[in-house]
Amino acid sequence: MALMPKRVKHRKCQRGRIKGNATRGNRVVFGDYGLQTIEGGWISAATIEAGRIAAQQYLRTEGRLYIRVFPQKPITSIPLETRMGKGKGEPEYWAAVVRPGTVLYEIGGATEEAARLCFNRLAHKMPVQVRFIKRRPL
Amino acid sequence: MASADGREECFPCRQPVFPWYIRQFDCGQRDSMSETLKVESRELRGKRNNRRLRARGRIPAVLYGHGQDPVSLAVPAEQFDSMVRHGSRLVTLAGAVNESAFIRECQWDTWGHHVVHVDFTRISAHEKVRVQVAIELRGEAPGVKEGGVLKQVLHEIELECEAADIPEKLTVSINDLGLNGSVTVANLALPPGAKVFEEPDQHIVQCVEPAEQPEVEEVSGEVEPELIGRKREEEGEASGS
Repeated sequence: MALMPKRVKHRKCQRGRIKGNATRGNRVVFGDYGLQTIEGGWISAATIEAGRIAAQQYLRTEGRLYIRVFPQKPITSIPLETRMGKGKGEPEYWAAVVRPGTVLYEIGGATEEAARLCFNRLAHKMPVQVRFIKRRPL
Repeated sequence: MASADGREECFPCRQPVFPWYIRQFDCGQRDSMSETLKVESRELRGKRNNRRLRARGRIPAVLYGHGQDPVSLAVPAEQFDSMVRHGSRLVTLAGAVNESAFIRECQWDTWGHHVVHVDFTRISAHEKVRVQVAIELRGEAPGVKEGGVLKQVLHEIELECEAADIPEKLTVSINDLGLNGSVTVANLALPPGAKVFEEPDQHIVQCVEPAEQPEVEEVSGEVEPELIGRKREEEGEASGS
């Protein structure tokens, strides 16, 4: 089952705007290599799960995958062929809001070559442009 | 700088960079690695002046410690990047101030390409300092060939040692690491006089059996998270009526 919060304060929320770059969650912390977004956007729970499966299938037992984002935003939509009005739509899915620079996934315990190939497969599933990064000094 | 295939890339990390960063990295050759930094004093402060400073290839910095007044400085970005890449933590400042300093904190931009600001603390060579040192794994673990997964628990460790003896990194050999084995803090080869603050039995790296994938439970129907406060409201309404 895709990721979603266990408890929320409100069922629906407003869309909001994504402004500026990520100032937190923008460096590799748990693993050795990471996948960083260079665009902002919404990443749905299903996409995060698809990425996890793609990475796990490639990595098998070689390394460990860390997911650094969590879908906390409920996204609503109005059904097709419905007249306008009658209030806000019902929640359809959950999404993680990412700013440019956010690290989405990390890999530890694998070689750089394996991590690059794995992230390459994973990057094709992402709705935003991403890049490969490493742990940095200091 | 441009790579062999003509793409623009960042000098320190060899990653492709965006066009608006290029101007900071097309300024030619770097100096060879040196532990002496030529610093200038910085009169103008604030966001706007610091941005102008960075565009000119300088990094705003501050020097403090030993009960003396803090001094605002500007350091050359190229030279400082080179030092950071080589893992130097102790530097000799020359120019506006002439003393040894320790790189206490380094602020990076979102992309990890450029250092945005540096904190130096005044230090003498035999003064003891607490510093985070990176741990690097060397070799190949036999446990991985047996089907294990390498799990590095500690990537950095806090050391207390003399400023002159700060190691660039601590290397841990994993050539003898079998399946279900581990290397602990007690196994670390420390520089003379160095002290660690982690427990001796704290794992640095483990070779563990791969975790089994949890079976995904298929849930029929729509699932919604619990609403905080709803239960209480409903109970209140029931008792009121």
